[in-house]
Amino acid sequence: MQPCSREMQAINSLLNPTQQIPLHDLQSNGNSNSHQQIQNPHFDPTSSHDDFLEQMLSTLPSCSLSDLKSPWNPTKSDETCPPNPDNNVGFHYDEILATKLRQHQINGGGGSSPATAAMKMMMQQQMMLEGRATAFGRGVGGGLTMPLSLGSGAAGSHHNDIVDGSSFKSPNNQDHGGEGSVQALYNGFGGGSLHGTNQSSNRPQHLNHPQGGTMQAQNFGAIAGTVIKQSQASGSITGGTAAQPKQRVRARRGQATDPHSIAERLRRERIAERMKALQELVPNANKTDKASMLDEIIDYVKFLQLQVKVLSMSRLGGAAAVAPLVAHIPSEGGGDFIQMSTDGGSLPRNSNGNHTSSSNDSLTVTEQQVAKLMEEDMGSAMQYLQGKGLCLMPISLATAISTVTCQSRNPMINNANQNNGSSNHPLLQSSGEGSSSPSMSVLTVQSATMGNGGVDGSVKDAASVSKP
Amino acid sequence: MSPMNNPQDLNPSSLKSRFTTRFLRALTKINGQKPISSSSPREMFQRYRRIKVAADKSMAWSVRSRRTWSRAMLWKLRSRYSCRQASSSRRSSVRTSTIIKSRQAKTSHEKENKNTTTGQDEVGFVVQADKLRKLVPGGEAMDLCNLLGETAHYIKCLTTQVQVMRKIAHFYSL
Repeated sequence: MQPCSREMQAINSLLNPTQQIPLHDLQSNGNSNSHQQIQNPHFDPTSSHDDFLEQMLSTLPSCSLSDLKSPWNPTKSDETCPPNPDNNVGFHYDEILATKLRQHQINGGGGSSPATAAMKMMMQQQMMLEGRATAFGRGVGGGLTMPLSLGSGAAGSHHNDIVDGSSFKSPNNQDHGGEGSVQALYNGFGGGSLHGTNQSSNRPQHLNHPQGGTMQAQNFGAIAGTVIKQSQASGSITGGTAAQPKQRVRARRGQATDPHSIAERLRRERIAERMKALQELVPNANKTDKASMLDEIIDYVKFLQLQVKVLSMSRLGGAAAVAPLVAHIPSEGGGDFIQMSTDGGSLPRNSNGNHTSSSNDSLTVTEQQVAKLMEEDMGSAMQYLQGKGLCLMPISLATAISTVTCQSRNPMINNANQNNGSSNHPLLQSSGEGSSSPSMSVLTVQSATMGNGGVDGSVKDAASVSKP
Repeated sequence: MSPMNNPQDLNPSSLKSRFTTRFLRALTKINGQKPISSSSPREMFQRYRRIKVAADKSMAWSVRSRRTWSRAMLWKLRSRYSCRQASSSRRSSVRTSTIIKSRQAKTSHEKENKNTTTGQDEVGFVVQADKLRKLVPGGEAMDLCNLLGETAHYIKCLTTQVQVMRKIAHFYSL
């Protein structure tokens, strides 16, 4: 009696007292072998413990927790504990007692009285009704294990069976947790006598709560798990618990087992689809690696920002303006898109990649022309370049492109020089190709015609030569 | 990419047309303020700055406040502008600087939080995510998922900006 009361108090301290579960109804359910059958739909929250199973069953599918008001009085735990089952349980009490005795024996004499076992069952039932319908089974699982473990440290195989039998049986019964809990209940009550057909499968499901489990139930399970472990549960139980995560995952193939992993998976999916969208925007998106894709994105953003700066400079209409700006740009420029040089010298920037070795005289002439034009008016310089089929392009890109296409196109790389002492960052390169590289494409000017007013005589000659 | 892209901003409410109108307006205002060919590099630099700010601002305005990066950019521009305006009066500048500092502290704090939370999942991307955060305005206070979305929109807007500015430069030079 005393241990019974202590256990009850312990459990009640953990849980909110809820409705009691009529043992007899459970028993009847078990006997009828229809664990999913709800035999007693009528619900009377104020009734005594007689019909608590009926109430439980009626509330399982539809009723909310608020309907479950427990007439269970935790305070009546002292000496009224043992009589309570007697009073509350109906005509099936004998059978219940039998099962409880069995359980008690398995517990190794923890309670040392049938009433104790009965009280344990009552507590289990109470805990089973704790929470929502889906939590019933878990409550059962947890509740049943708790008193069992509290009661003793016995760890027989049959104990395991009992535990497993009382465990929640239907991991695949997420929405019908109540029904599963009922089954678990009567399985638990049945002990050895009422072992259902799925007893054997219950072993690892002891703590295997449905995936829609509430935190409460999880707490129960956790507590039960720890208690069970402490109770020197056999290796089967621990093996069962160890197998539970696996089984849980197996049972729910497409779903996560807990809200955290669900959230994480959602997040990962969202990130993946954003990356795909970015891949379409950013050129050179053939990278499969996410990290390299991110690098590409970063470089592209830097490049675009730099382009905006360059374009805003070009409207200033003066090459002289480029000098201070160019010094400013390297601090903001992109990584390998632009290889800025802060060299104040007026050396012809014939490349960072030694590609200007292919430049010929016409190019140098063009360079000088462009340099002159740039001094006067940036816009006209650009126009001149466009007329020649040249374009401004970052140096690094030019190097990359020339290495790729030097055989086919023989790009003429023309580095514009600034005579006023600072290197111009853009690199001129002819583009006879429709480059797929976006950084190039932005600056590339297709030279459809060379008809730019005879600026370059050599070009004109070439054109005239090619005409006939 | 052909140099003469036919301007397809026939849709008056498209991002491109919105940006174009605003930017042209700002550009004409800037051109009206000072002569074009001023030889002083400092003035050139100032003009460049103004143009760039005008470009960014008009782009951010075209997006209104629908995006975090546009809001952040507008806020930054406004705060910088107010800082500059209030540079004479120490009080307001101090106030704005404290506001800026507090905001930076807040964003950095949020970034730390976000980093700690995002770092658990994709540890390898934290470095790049940080870089991206610096690039995209207002990116410090966003988690990776939103950051990627903002980056996509930002890239789209930047490309639009570049296209329009190129065309303007082309027409300007003619």
